Amino acid sequence: MKLKVASFAFAAGVLLAVAGPAAAHHSFAAVFDRNQPAKFSGVVTKIEWSNPHAWFYVDVKDDAGHVKNYACETGPPNILIRNGWRKDSLKVGDTVSISGYRAKDGTDTFSTSEVVLPDGRKVFSGSNADEDK
Amino acid sequence: MQNLFFRTLLLGASGLVLTAVPALAQAPAKAPAATCERPAEGFGCLASRPPATNGPTPRMADGKPDLSGVWQHPFVQDMTRDLPDQKGEPNIAQLFTPWGKANAVEEFDYTAFCLPLGYTRSINSPMPIEIEQRPGRIVMLYEMNNTFHMIYTDGRAHPKDLEPTWFGHSIGKWDGDTLVVDTVGFNDQTRIDTQGHPHTDKLHVIERITRTDLGHLSYDMTIDDPGAYTKPWKNVRTFHLRPDWELLEYNCNENNKEVMEGHLKPPAKK
Repeated sequence: MKLKVASFAFAAGVLLAVAGPAAAHHSFAAVFDRNQPAKFSGVVTKIEWSNPHAWFYVDVKDDAGHVKNYACETGPPNILIRNGWRKDSLKVGDTVSISGYRAKDGTDTFSTSEVVLPDGRKVFSGSNADEDK
Repeated sequence: MQNLFFRTLLLGASGLVLTAVPALAQAPAKAPAATCERPAEGFGCLASRPPATNGPTPRMADGKPDLSGVWQHPFVQDMTRDLPDQKGEPNIAQLFTPWGKANAVEEFDYTAFCLPLGYTRSINSPMPIEIEQRPGRIVMLYEMNNTFHMIYTDGRAHPKDLEPTWFGHSIGKWDGDTLVVDTVGFNDQTRIDTQGHPHTDKLHVIERITRTDLGHLSYDMTIDDPGAYTKPWKNVRTFHLRPDWELLEYNCNENNKEVMEGHLKPPAKK
């Protein structure tokens, strides 16, 4: 396994352009609200490489300077792996920009459709938000 | 395996660069026609382009086609829709019986609670299957929930007085080079697709599977359920061989935060 993470992250980014997000085990609408799209940036505090979804958490600062920790759902490891990602493709301390949808229950819980690192690489993108229309 | 996987991934990626770069540059996205017409459609599209697999249909010692292999199949969330590698029945709603109409809306998606997807949703899922064909039986291995199902091809009939199950009971017969799989004995706990099209325990599923060449399966599924629909209807798909893939692990209840943290609650009992 000689390839560096950056190489396959690039490959994955290229693939994502045609492949789109991954999917979950149930309908998107069961949990998330398509009418509440969200965009935010923050610093990754924790990663759970787990089934049936991987999750990561980001500290997000609001205009008043208050920090909240947002929970971000993405695809399961099998689908992330086939899109070229590994557990360490996203790291604690990374600053990321996220597009997604808020949970219907109004908590700071989001389905992520896109996760972008400062250098533009996309990682861990994998909600089924765009599939379940 | 990892080397092969990444080589294939990169090969696939380099093959896509020419068509994918305009999308990255914010020009109108135009995906390669052979791969995916709708980039946002996820595994309705192909996750990556399957490697070229030219060759004739492989055959068993008895001359019947051998369906074995790891197969990438389309993610079929809504059987009314036409998407790459899937052709739906647009008029399902017009086929409802009064019961079907009354039960057309699913109040919550049972799979969120890690219940079995059931037969039709397992092969609708975005995760691949492996088919292992042996004399007398065909073993279906689903990456979705790492589950399995047997299709008996030894000439037996369905047992009488089947107890209802999530996956039913399947027997297969050859019609020329097409395997015809007949499945009955379902419970009434599942839905036919993610969209939630309903069925009763009278559900009878007929699948026709043909390995048209080394790299492709032609697959169609007929839904015959006189409890829910006034006549049978069909969904037609193409599967792609993935010799570069192994089935991976997937489970539902390791960290099902949506339920464990209460983001998703079952509806109140009536």
